[in-house]
Amino acid sequence: MSVGRKMVYHVNVNLLGRAVLRWHRLKAERRGGAPRGWKQEYLAPPLSISPRTKELISRHYLAGRYAHLGRKVAWVTSGAPVELLKALDYYVLYPENHAAVCGTVRACVEISGEAENAGYSRDLCSYARTDIGSALSGKTPVGKLPKPDLLLACTNICQTVLAWYRVLAQHFRVPLILIDTPFLFGEASEHVITYVRRQLEEAVPVAETVAGKRFVERRFEEVTQRSRMASQLWLEILERNHHQPAPLSVFDQFIQMAPIVEMRGDGFTVDFYAALLREVDQRIAQGVGAVTKEKRRLLWDNLPVWYRLRYLAEFLAERGVAVVASTYTNAWGELAPMMDVNRPWDSMVRTYLHPILNRGTGHKLATMIRMIEQYELDGAILHSDRSCKPYSIGQMDQRDHLVRECGRPALLLEADHNDPRSYAEEQVANRLDAFLEMLGV
Amino acid sequence: MRKAVGPIARRSEVIRQQRERGGWVAAVLPIHYPRALLRSFDLLPIEVWGPPGIDPDHGAAHVQAYVCSIVRNALSFILSGGLDVADVIMVPHTCDSLQGLGSLLLDLVRPRQPVVPFYLPRGERECDIQFLAEEFRAISRQLEEITGRSPSLLELIECVKRDEEADGLLGSLHHRRNELALNSYEFYRVLRAREYLPSEDFVELARSCLACAAEAPNVGVPLILSGIVPEPMSMLALIDELGARIVADDLACCGRRLYPNGVSEDPFVRMAERIVRSAPDPTRGSPLADRSEHLLRLAAGSEARAVVFHGVKFCEPELFDLPVLREELKRAGLPSVIIEVDLNDPLSHQVRTRLEALLEMIR
Ligand code: SF4
Ligand code: SF4
Repeated sequence: MSVGRKMVYHVNVNLLGRAVLRWHRLKAERRGGAPRGWKQEYLAPPLSISPRTKELISRHYLAGRYAHLGRKVAWVTSGAPVELLKALDYYVLYPENHAAVCGTVRACVEISGEAENAGYSRDLCSYARTDIGSALSGKTPVGKLPKPDLLLACTNICQTVLAWYRVLAQHFRVPLILIDTPFLFGEASEHVITYVRRQLEEAVPVAETVAGKRFVERRFEEVTQRSRMASQLWLEILERNHHQPAPLSVFDQFIQMAPIVEMRGDGFTVDFYAALLREVDQRIAQGVGAVTKEKRRLLWDNLPVWYRLRYLAEFLAERGVAVVASTYTNAWGELAPMMDVNRPWDSMVRTYLHPILNRGTGHKLATMIRMIEQYELDGAILHSDRSCKPYSIGQMDQRDHLVRECGRPALLLEADHNDPRSYAEEQVANRLDAFLEMLGV
Repeated sequence: MRKAVGPIARRSEVIRQQRERGGWVAAVLPIHYPRALLRSFDLLPIEVWGPPGIDPDHGAAHVQAYVCSIVRNALSFILSGGLDVADVIMVPHTCDSLQGLGSLLLDLVRPRQPVVPFYLPRGERECDIQFLAEEFRAISRQLEEITGRSPSLLELIECVKRDEEADGLLGSLHHRRNELALNSYEFYRVLRAREYLPSEDFVELARSCLACAAEAPNVGVPLILSGIVPEPMSMLALIDELGARIVADDLACCGRRLYPNGVSEDPFVRMAERIVRSAPDPTRGSPLADRSEHLLRLAAGSEARAVVFHGVKFCEPELFDLPVLREELKRAGLPSVIIEVDLNDPLSHQVRTRLEALLEMIR
């Protein structure tokens, strides 16, 4: 890279960009308090770390905008072993997170419409549609996305991601590294572990060639260490919700999880979660609950409904219901104990083979039951997500089991994680009301 | 005109014969699986592509309506006793939906029979072949426990070779379909007998068909059929009726399973090689470029003038590829049409209209 390009990158991202974003954050922190219309009566004030979350995410996309001036860009799936790429100094973009940003700002219909117009069916995962629509049209709420030099798809969340990344590989004409992580119907057998390990090792020279850099084991260990620390902190934050009232709702968690997904392995992510943990502890010390009058505590299963987060948070809080734990946010913390910095390769294989989505329906049910017990929950909402089959298949039996065997009311709520066209608010409200009545609220 | 095919044994008849011989039956879900391995345990594989046109209610209590009808029907079929005849249920990890079904059957909706799932690798690398071979070894150990039998490696390699012979003849049927004096419906009945006939019986059937082969005039607009399974089969009759003919296919149940012979002397590796090196398939993660090249090659070799993409509703592996494939075909001057079906629905008027419109455009 030329010195000139380096300078432009440095000025735009590290000097000007950072300064502007920092200024915005400080302004928001000074202003403090809740945004207009915030239902203070039912909800605790927004977390004071929120402006920092926003700053981190904006900085991440800003760095992406100028990434090609200084770094190679990789697009990866949310469960990808990103530590390999971070060790090679890739700028890493997570299309799933980007799609979630589009969903949150309600841009999914427009952007995914671009994919649909090009022939992509509405029956496909709405993240994939959003992202493909963005790749085809350039539309994005984050300014501009850098084109990938490399794609990395790991099948540990679904096969959909591979289908989707094959489309991206064809569109951008760049190499696609596949880390195929066999679905664990039971325990991971030796040959499964060998297979994944071999793929990880074979991925290195490909990633090196594209990066034009040598892979340095020590850097890899450092990144793995930071990933582990951040995941561990995230897990501790979630577990603080054993406390009653719970200091953090899952709706807060959905927002605050962005860095653990897309900035895993970075030092500032560790600092961020250490600060969040302090704030959560402060809430506990002050007796502040995310829902001011917590009467019932629930579990959330599956992805969020990104475009109605606030509505659902308020709807439930008004009725004294705190949704305090979720299989989804838990997925980015529960594997922290598997990460072992002294055996980074082995631990990487184990960690990336064991996400909840790579394990059976029985394992998910067991996880839900364990969480219900540990968090002392009164029931569960299972979001039946129309365009995420791997997370949703099995929910009908899981719900029946929770009701019959565990005596916990459980609701199957029909929606879609990103596409509001598969969501009927009136129906959702009616179903929630009926469910809450069962819970006695 | 000489008729190239006599009566084909029905599934129920084949199963009865297997039972009478003291053999066992394995119900197998789509798409790729180690047929020879099952046969070496004297388990006759009977494939379950849905089946179509059954009461889906039993399955509807367990899987959401946005899951494809192959999975919904298969579950209904199992729960309503339709597969009681099977001693084992094998579920290949073909897609997210079959993953869900396999997991449900193992964990939450347990059928009477043992369930044998396995993972299908998504690459075509050496490590994928090695991994799949190990998966097959693991299945073999499981089948030993289930059946109490332990076939020798020699027996297994014999089964593999018998399969290779049957698949070789299956390939000949595909390539010489124009010489067989069969309409599309009859032809696919022959091909799909591979889904339940023992390989040795299929070899006989294929030989008898090929023995009747003769130069036949090429009538009808030549089409390629791509997708999962040609159901409802009446669609094939409709294609004939509209004056078209299927000259090649890229169907999961047919053309994507023209497995080449393996190379290795190790039967497990050889079975894996055959699957990993077969025609491009989205459920095996084949790159899109390979898929479009394959379709273009099929078209060039068969002089097809259009492609009919015949998909099952909610089938993500197929749906993801369609825009790119159609674009590449269009660039090569080949029009295409998409038809989506639910296995429980009769052939709709819309299908007829779409096919008519496609044929009109070509003519
Ligand atoms: S939302 Fe579901 S289908 Fe889509 S990428 Fe995520 S896990 Fe896969
Ligand atoms: S039709 Fe598609 S989604 Fe359904 S089982 Fe077959 S490959 Fe899977």
